[in-house]
Amino acid sequence: MNRALAETLTVLDRQRARVKWQQESYFSELSGVFSNHTSTHVHVFQGDLLSDESVLDDLVMTRQVKPDPSLETSWPELGKVDMAGMGFGPCGYSNGPSFDMNYAISRTFSCPPAVAATIAKEAMEVKGKESIVSENMGSAVARESSKKRKADKLHNSKVAADDDSKKTKACGEEEEESKITGPPNTNKSSTKQEPSADTSKENSKLTEVQKPDYIHVRARRGQATDSHSLAERVRREKISERMKYLQDLVPGCNKITGKAGMLDEIINYVQSLQRQVEFLSMKLAAVNPRLDFDIDNLFAKDVFPPCMTNFPTVGMSSEMANPSYLHFNPVQQVVACSGVEMGLNSPDIALRRTISAPESTILDSSFLDTSCFTQIQPSPTWDVELQNVYNVAFEHGRSTTPFPSQPFAAAGSIEASHLKMEM
Amino acid sequence: MKSSKVIHSTTFTTKYISYLVPALTNIGSLRASCDVDEETKKMVRYEVDMALALSAKGFAWSRALKHKLRLNYNDDDRVGDGHGEPVTKKPKTEHEEEERMMCLRKLIPGGKEIMADDEMLLSELGSYVSCLELQVNILRSMLQNN
Repeated sequence: MNRALAETLTVLDRQRARVKWQQESYFSELSGVFSNHTSTHVHVFQGDLLSDESVLDDLVMTRQVKPDPSLETSWPELGKVDMAGMGFGPCGYSNGPSFDMNYAISRTFSCPPAVAATIAKEAMEVKGKESIVSENMGSAVARESSKKRKADKLHNSKVAADDDSKKTKACGEEEEESKITGPPNTNKSSTKQEPSADTSKENSKLTEVQKPDYIHVRARRGQATDSHSLAERVRREKISERMKYLQDLVPGCNKITGKAGMLDEIINYVQSLQRQVEFLSMKLAAVNPRLDFDIDNLFAKDVFPPCMTNFPTVGMSSEMANPSYLHFNPVQQVVACSGVEMGLNSPDIALRRTISAPESTILDSSFLDTSCFTQIQPSPTWDVELQNVYNVAFEHGRSTTPFPSQPFAAAGSIEASHLKMEM
Repeated sequence: MKSSKVIHSTTFTTKYISYLVPALTNIGSLRASCDVDEETKKMVRYEVDMALALSAKGFAWSRALKHKLRLNYNDDDRVGDGHGEPVTKKPKTEHEEEERMMCLRKLIPGGKEIMADDEMLLSELGSYVSCLELQVNILRSMLQNN
């Protein structure tokens, strides 16, 4: 997207561009992940563990690495919208294992009322050619509206819902009724699964009467609409989404359809893994004094091929990122200054790379030849960096304190440095 | 600042190895004079588990595992197994899924204490299973190479 386009872009156009761009980038991410592994999984773990308030922060922070066509526009007053939208879009995409085309378009799972209202306002102002775009908008906003009803959110959603409902209704019947969700801390109530289900059901259900003081969930045809059953349905869908994900993870579960059978399989698998760990650790203890850790071989050959569980990091798909990710400026600066001083700073770099994956994978990529992007090629830089990691770690290990404090010392130092790096 | 909620195999592997190798070398030098006994095995097991907990930050189970390991280590009786439960389980009856969920809660570190919510349990399970797989691969390759 360039300057000329920037002048004329509306919020929704930018959204559309962003959506397309995201789709492309995500699918190239995916193809990068899947290209070399037979059974790779692209997994993202759901952020249910995050506290409600921090969801936004995390997502916005971690998603910042992506260059985004919409960011190049000169709409400063809507910068906040962009950030929020950008944060939500990818997050929405990453919210589930099933790669549905609808994801990229419509997955804003929660949107501050002000932001959504602004978006809606923009939509209304350029109504003429916006029929398609507003449909996207409407569906996007409608999808975010599949939330549980919570009476305690009413004061937050009331004003925005009012504005939004009036404006979106004016836009035509192709646009679903839009209801604003509460503020971002509706994490528990936000459904990430609703959109794809909703797409199929939207047409069959007439729009509900606007009640600005409630958060509305799209009830499907022939289903109960009271808050309890809606909450229950949301919960069940989330659980089934997780179960599907686990089904991919646990080998041999594809044929099993029942939930109970699946859980049995998972239990068996976890037990077998734990037994293996126990067994291997005993063997390790037996062999330990004579162990010679051949680090290079460890990384280059044996560890990676079996590790087919190759998940995307937030913002990155694989160790060797797509070349497009290199265009991220801040990281380039890091690369530029640290590349020269590699010898001096490599312990830092090495430690840093293990902790902040998005940055460090770019660092790796840039050190290596840019042609090796589709494969995991750890050898050249890994050796140096690993040696330095071990040197650093060995220094800690060689202190003469007795053993009981040793694990803690080693753990403490590495952990402390981990913590430091993560900050 | 919270860690990423996504498990990246190479990141995990790097962290894991970078913790475990020095720790094992340490144990090796400390116990060089003794035969391989229960104490050594416990130490190694501790480090193996601790490496897992440290390499996968940001999950409830990893926090619980770390906590358990430290608690157990401080006790004199030394339970040793960071998971806190015997590995073998009674076979499940044909009861509802509730029983199976309970079983899973016992398997995952921190399951009983933290993960009252089924949904949370299942998401934690996802990351836990993948980390276990990675751990097994790492340990296996460490042994193979020697």
